[in-house]
Amino acid sequence: MLKILIPTLFLLPTTWLTSSKWLWPTALTQSMLIALGSITWLNNTTDTGWTALNSYIGTDPLSTPLLVLSCWLLPLMLLASQNHLSSEPINRQRMYITLLATLQLFLILAFGATEMIMFYVMFEATLIPTLLVITRWGNQTERLNAGTYFLFYTLAGSLPLLVALLMLQNNTGTLSLLIIPYAKPLLLMPFGSKIWWAACMIAFLVKMPLYGMHLWLPKAHVEAPVAGSMVLAAVLLKLGGYGMMRLMIVLDPLSKEMVYPFIVLALWGVIMTGSICLRQTDLKSLIAYSSVSHMGLVAGGILIQTPWGFTGALILMIAHGLASSALFCLANTNYERTHSRTMLLARGLQIALPLMTTWWFIASLANLALPPLPNLMGELMILTSLFNWSAWTLILTGIGTLITAAYSLYMFLMSQRGPLPQHMLALPPSYTREHLLMALHLIPLLLIILKPALLWGWFAC
Amino acid sequence: MLSRFTRLGTTLPRILANSGVRFVSQSQKSASAGSATLSELLPPQDSHDHGEVNHYVKNPDYHGFSTDPVVDQWNMRLAFFFGVSVVLVIGGTFIHYLPDYGMRQWARREAERLLKHREAKALPLIAEDYYDSSKIVLAAAGED
Repeated sequence: MLKILIPTLFLLPTTWLTSSKWLWPTALTQSMLIALGSITWLNNTTDTGWTALNSYIGTDPLSTPLLVLSCWLLPLMLLASQNHLSSEPINRQRMYITLLATLQLFLILAFGATEMIMFYVMFEATLIPTLLVITRWGNQTERLNAGTYFLFYTLAGSLPLLVALLMLQNNTGTLSLLIIPYAKPLLLMPFGSKIWWAACMIAFLVKMPLYGMHLWLPKAHVEAPVAGSMVLAAVLLKLGGYGMMRLMIVLDPLSKEMVYPFIVLALWGVIMTGSICLRQTDLKSLIAYSSVSHMGLVAGGILIQTPWGFTGALILMIAHGLASSALFCLANTNYERTHSRTMLLARGLQIALPLMTTWWFIASLANLALPPLPNLMGELMILTSLFNWSAWTLILTGIGTLITAAYSLYMFLMSQRGPLPQHMLALPPSYTREHLLMALHLIPLLLIILKPALLWGWFAC
Repeated sequence: MLSRFTRLGTTLPRILANSGVRFVSQSQKSASAGSATLSELLPPQDSHDHGEVNHYVKNPDYHGFSTDPVVDQWNMRLAFFFGVSVVLVIGGTFIHYLPDYGMRQWARREAERLLKHREAKALPLIAEDYYDSSKIVLAAAGED
């Protein structure tokens, strides 16, 4: 673990001490070497499940895919941000990379934490660099509002979580993730225990986000610069899913009745946000709502607490992380050329930028869960486990899948097909950097098809 | 009109060589008469973005990383080498050769070994009860 944490920590001196000419190549190289190191965490053959274990941090098959995803995302964020930051003063560029690196550090500590309070502190800590990135580097005035929504929604959800965790510590005497699954069921007052259950879950449900509490997400994703959108969509939402999966084990007998309203909200949210996607004019907003839709399915999969549900949720989280981040990068390539997110202004791009169309195509297919991509595997596992739980959910998830395909195709056709508008004759061709960025998103997604066991967590083993 | 786009590669240097600094201004009358200029529809942005600077003018081999051609090329090389050759290829090879990920092959061997053992001894192949029924403590009838 330290061989990843120390280089990540030392990315900070790297950014401040490198000369301005070589800042971005150096930061990129170091972050890619960190990503290479993170792949070693996948070497997991122990029966106990936990590897790289010490008193404070460790990895297990649930956290490892998420850790590798977060470590892989940092070089991709740097690649994506290089162009739009190139005109800024050098110290602001250094500050930006510093914020991304600290976010990375907190994320590694959060996913690697073996103790729930450490996870909680890191979960909160990730808010700060993200807030700074959104509010200081966003492009429109709405970024301040977006930052406020982002911060206060998450904080309002997570303060009850602190109380709930302290209560849990009082009751069981430990909050270590290795011991908690074996603790005795808690004896609490009938109504108080329901409040406690809700306090545990609300923080993560807001983060995921669950449909009723999702208002912060479109704002934050749209107003954030590309690296902010990427890390939000790919990793920060998954913090919510990961937290839920960890805590579900402790909450057990209560969950039987308590999950009902949330599953309903999650599945309804899949359909509602999918339908909203079909009516969006803003490209980034469409991708943001599509994230809510996919995460609704993940939330549904986690809340039913079956092995297939958990496995499907984990696979879908990783696959969606890569696909959604790829879509935000593509939206950014549009934005850097037209300085507008309105989809109507950037139509018919297949004529002007045909190579980028390939990436748009693959990313859209990933979003609509085309087999054999892992997106489908995750969705199908969640679908079947939900069906096993209640046959009626098939109506909701089936319509949801249909709408997902509809808006993904809509997004592709709107941006790539159709007539090229008259004012868009002067688009610079796609840069090597942009092609590399898209390849580095989508090739891992395709490679996962070959070894999906990496993403199954310890539920399907 | 559309046919012009297929020749975008050769049209571009001609427009650039003639129009000067602002790439978007199409000052020649013959090439694109009647089309709106980008500057009319999108007014100039913030101070750090003086119109659409086309980097390919100064550096035809622009890769998208930096305006300095040397740094641009080295950045491209580093990004591709570490991104593709190191992480995707070496990392991918590492993942491919991971021994028995999740102990599934071991589980299969162990199951076959246990089955062989139980068949030889004529033992039941699998216990019907998942939990040991002697260890389950039930509350007496009438208690809560």
